[in-house]
Amino acid sequence: MGKTMIMKIMERAAHKEVHVGERVWCDIDWSTARDFGGANCTLQFDEITEKQGRVWDSDKIAFTFDLQAPSHSEKVSNNQKIIREFAKRQGIKHVFDINHGIGQHVLLENGLVKPGDVILGTDSHMNLLGGVAAFATGVGNTDIAASWLSGTNWFRVPETMKIEATGEFQCGVSMRDFLTRLVGDLGAGGLDFLAVEFAGDAIERSTLAERITLCSMVTEMSGKIGLILPNGPVLEWLAGRAGPEVRSRVASIAPDADAPYIETRKYDVSKLEPLASCPDAPDNVKTVREIAGTPVDQVHIGSCSNGRFEDIAAAFAVLEKSGFKVSPSVRTIITPATNEVMRRCASEGLIEKFLDAGIVFTNPTCALCTAEHYGALPGGDVGCSTTNRNFIGKVGKGSHTYLLSPMTAMATAVKGVITDPRDIIC
Amino acid sequence: MSEILRGRAWVFSDDVDTDLIYHNKYLAETDPKKMPQYSFEYYPGKENFAKEVKPGDFVVAGKNFGCGSSREHAVYCLKEAGVPVILAETCSRIYYRNAINNGYPVLFVKGLSEAIKAGKIKDGDELEVELGTGTIKDSTSGSAFHGDAVSDLERDIMSAGGLIPYLKSKKK
Repeated sequence: MGKTMIMKIMERAAHKEVHVGERVWCDIDWSTARDFGGANCTLQFDEITEKQGRVWDSDKIAFTFDLQAPSHSEKVSNNQKIIREFAKRQGIKHVFDINHGIGQHVLLENGLVKPGDVILGTDSHMNLLGGVAAFATGVGNTDIAASWLSGTNWFRVPETMKIEATGEFQCGVSMRDFLTRLVGDLGAGGLDFLAVEFAGDAIERSTLAERITLCSMVTEMSGKIGLILPNGPVLEWLAGRAGPEVRSRVASIAPDADAPYIETRKYDVSKLEPLASCPDAPDNVKTVREIAGTPVDQVHIGSCSNGRFEDIAAAFAVLEKSGFKVSPSVRTIITPATNEVMRRCASEGLIEKFLDAGIVFTNPTCALCTAEHYGALPGGDVGCSTTNRNFIGKVGKGSHTYLLSPMTAMATAVKGVITDPRDIIC
Repeated sequence: MSEILRGRAWVFSDDVDTDLIYHNKYLAETDPKKMPQYSFEYYPGKENFAKEVKPGDFVVAGKNFGCGSSREHAVYCLKEAGVPVILAETCSRIYYRNAINNGYPVLFVKGLSEAIKAGKIKDGDELEVELGTGTIKDSTSGSAFHGDAVSDLERDIMSAGGLIPYLKSKKK
């Protein structure tokens, strides 16, 4: 019997043969923490080592400041300071402060992530790095503190589901809509404890941004990791950033032809139409046509799921077709994933046009995914967002959020009511 | 014969996400002892949980309990409130790890989601739970359930008191 991708990744990290269902100890390539959870990790590490402990490898630890960047309160500022001081004391050089962006994206752009890496982080969307075939997972502070002690951690070797996507997206439909279809079909717990391999020609042709979108929301089905083997331009980009070793890594973790899958699901993405996750759960899925006309108060485009340049450019194309004007009744906010994305938006002239249209363009941050930073919704407001969660009251008690693709979100900002982007651009 | 725990049930649905258990508004908190005051503040109908929960009470839930964020706050806020064990049909994987890593028991109880929907286990029911055997009795309704034990590794981590004490004991 052959091996799946996650089995090969775990075998590299565990230095032994692994079997599905077994618990194994894996060497950790990166153990990271954000400004959220980061102080909890450093305080816990100091407590268990009575402030005398040294981390196992200061070159394999990174801190990213993204959840509340810049800080909005004294408490958060203090947590960020605790992290900076810990990093200094431990000789940790990979500190990406508030001027960088969303952690996983920053690690990726800085060439720190390779296919086959095992990566921990205090962000449940770490697994978007599965888009370059790294096994990255969100964990709590105890997992992080433990890995700083030992350089290892325990994992159950998961079963793998294979999802094959073929065909080309129709005008106005994107990878986000395919993802929403999957979340609707599989449900919030549909992938609990499972790994996923995405394959098929629609995946092989997809951009890095699309792969990130797809893998980020495996979390919303409670999956362990969604993996895509880098190929074509994505592989070239990754090798350019992370070095030539990327190619041999890809070869070493490619799944075997007779790898065991518990299930294979097949989708023809050319049959999809724009979809939405309706309040108050990602798996409450309807077509945009069904909910079109719903008035909204705020539209947000960004997040770790849809904050890449390609996502913002897709929204820009909808705005361009609409004469560069959004509805005055809607507050529209765009948040790039990283500084690199923001610079490209600036150099290609997008930001000026967004500002002219009456849109707020923010620094890169995760802030709009919380109720504790800018963009929080008051009770009774309806929001539309390209983020990944619309749980009850997540961005404000008594508010409700629809999760949409960047194109649908911008079409909605333009019209002031939920709008199918095909009505504008196709 | 392991100890029998007795307490009241607080019953929750399927897919209870971490924002419902412990809202993102309070993520800047770093002291686990201060976390119970925020438990279930956003869960419709359970806003008074934090005020009314008593040490020994049980959290009873359907499938995929604790889905969403990786915040360990969502485990601490119940553990520090004195809830001795989570009874759920299944837990979301990150929540499960966070519980085990803290030596905090979780029992996976087959059929619990349907039993909750059918009203066979309700808020305020008196429960008897035997952790060693996984036996759960609802003395109010007369229903009985069985919770699955965890794997050998998780049992070892649990009995060491959590992941950190487990790793420290291995180093010796």
